[in-house]
Amino acid sequence: MQNKIDEGRFRELLEESDDLQSDAMKVARTGLGDYVEAAREARVSAGRDGARWGTVAAAAGVAGAATLLASGTAWAAGDDVSALQTAAGLENLAVFTYKTALTLPFIGGSSANGVVKAFAMKTMDQHAEHAMAFNAAAQRLGGQAQAGTDPKYTPVVKAAVPTIKGPGDVVGLAITLEDVAAQTYVKDVSVVSTPELRQLFASVAGVESQHRAILLAVQALLKAEAANLIALPPDAAKLPAAAGSVGFPDSFYPTSMAAPVDEGAVK
Amino acid sequence: MSIFSRRTERAEMAISEHELSQMTRELDELHESTFPQVRKAIDDMAVSLGRVVRHPSTRRGFFVGAAGAVTLGAVAACSNGASPAPGSSGSAAPAAPEETYTGDLKVVALATALENLAVAAYGGALKKAGAGQLGTVPPAVATFVQTAMKQHADHAQAWNAVLSKAGKPTVDTPALTITADQVSMLNAATSVPDVAKLALNLENVAAQTYTFATANVSDAGGIMTAATIQPVETMHAAILNFILGQYPVPDSFIGITNSLKPDMLTAK
Repeated sequence: MQNKIDEGRFRELLEESDDLQSDAMKVARTGLGDYVEAAREARVSAGRDGARWGTVAAAAGVAGAATLLASGTAWAAGDDVSALQTAAGLENLAVFTYKTALTLPFIGGSSANGVVKAFAMKTMDQHAEHAMAFNAAAQRLGGQAQAGTDPKYTPVVKAAVPTIKGPGDVVGLAITLEDVAAQTYVKDVSVVSTPELRQLFASVAGVESQHRAILLAVQALLKAEAANLIALPPDAAKLPAAAGSVGFPDSFYPTSMAAPVDEGAVK
Repeated sequence: MSIFSRRTERAEMAISEHELSQMTRELDELHESTFPQVRKAIDDMAVSLGRVVRHPSTRRGFFVGAAGAVTLGAVAACSNGASPAPGSSGSAAPAAPEETYTGDLKVVALATALENLAVAAYGGALKKAGAGQLGTVPPAVATFVQTAMKQHADHAQAWNAVLSKAGKPTVDTPALTITADQVSMLNAATSVPDVAKLALNLENVAAQTYTFATANVSDAGGIMTAATIQPVETMHAAILNFILGQYPVPDSFIGITNSLKPDMLTAK
């Protein structure tokens, strides 16, 4: 595969990206801490009178807890932990998949496209960070960390690996995993019990969907036998018209493929 | 693509028009298959918020009602000098004019205005491209602008449906404090990268605003709608980053520091 990339410039971009990521990670950690604090407080408060919930909401800087009580919905700490463990399992599987892909010559080896290889490495690291965040939240809520991979999609990945013959196969597999993760987190936003956790799932859903967008564009270029256009910066004038829109096929992100909240829960 | 210069129309196409048409049809089919789910969430939200709006016995009642507890709206109401809460002092101060949009509906109005701004920005870019003011526009960029603009219009339409069903006026303009600056930047743009940077900023702001909204809207339908739109904005941003030659997924988590706040809505 032709490697059309300015390696120096790409390293700079990765370094800049790492700086941005560190800043974002600080924000995420702060949000996570707020979430855990609010969730713990809510757990302590469960069963007490409604006024207490107002205090919880005020302490957390949010108003969702009061609504939960008013609507009669039970505070579902179990669902929160299950959702976090399921998410961690999906992230662990993504890490496993990218790690495996990087052992293939056309993804991580000498014949790999430099941009694709760097993207796979960076994306793997981002999934590892997501797994850490989800597991940290689960543990601080009294649950166990999910060290395993998602039980539904792990066999799918393991069955697919021996059949991989080129970059297109890897990209197709990765698109599926990113899409399932994004759909799961979009759905989980409306499942979990606190505003901070909703924000955490949303903040990760947006990143998985970005991975998917780029992979869809890469897939389109591979199918068009235009792998040489997978470059940073791309030769925009030569990109097929469809490359401009193939990365975001829906006006509203679907959730029909979302994993059930307890799919990857630690039993 | 008649809005573009003839030079652009003749640009090399690495994919046939037939293939492009087929891909577009597939995209539309995908869109149609997902939209009903969102429409249901929006309908549920409109019913919920409409019920609250029709029976706002007191301001406090609104906030502790079935769908009314909204920190975002409360903060915005205070910052906008809205009517003080019952029981508060300050009788000497003149009463502030009543706001049309409060609570979750203020967030909905904010989102609508932001989507309108995105539509206006992309529409303005198309006009400038058609007038030859951006130089040669690559076919992929043209397709991006047209598709992203349509999706933002879909988002605006969805949010406006909520406002209508809740008995509120629709927001049909980019009624935001940031709009004038964005228009100035668009007017000053002389190239595709100029426009792409402007669009990237708007997409990032939108994504962060929806991320913020997921934690600060109380209505379940509103939360779900924001959650389903946010990834679409981040996907737009990823492709724009790619086109600009920047790393397409720079952050491991979508932040909220650049999100719009309700007091940036100028429609009262």
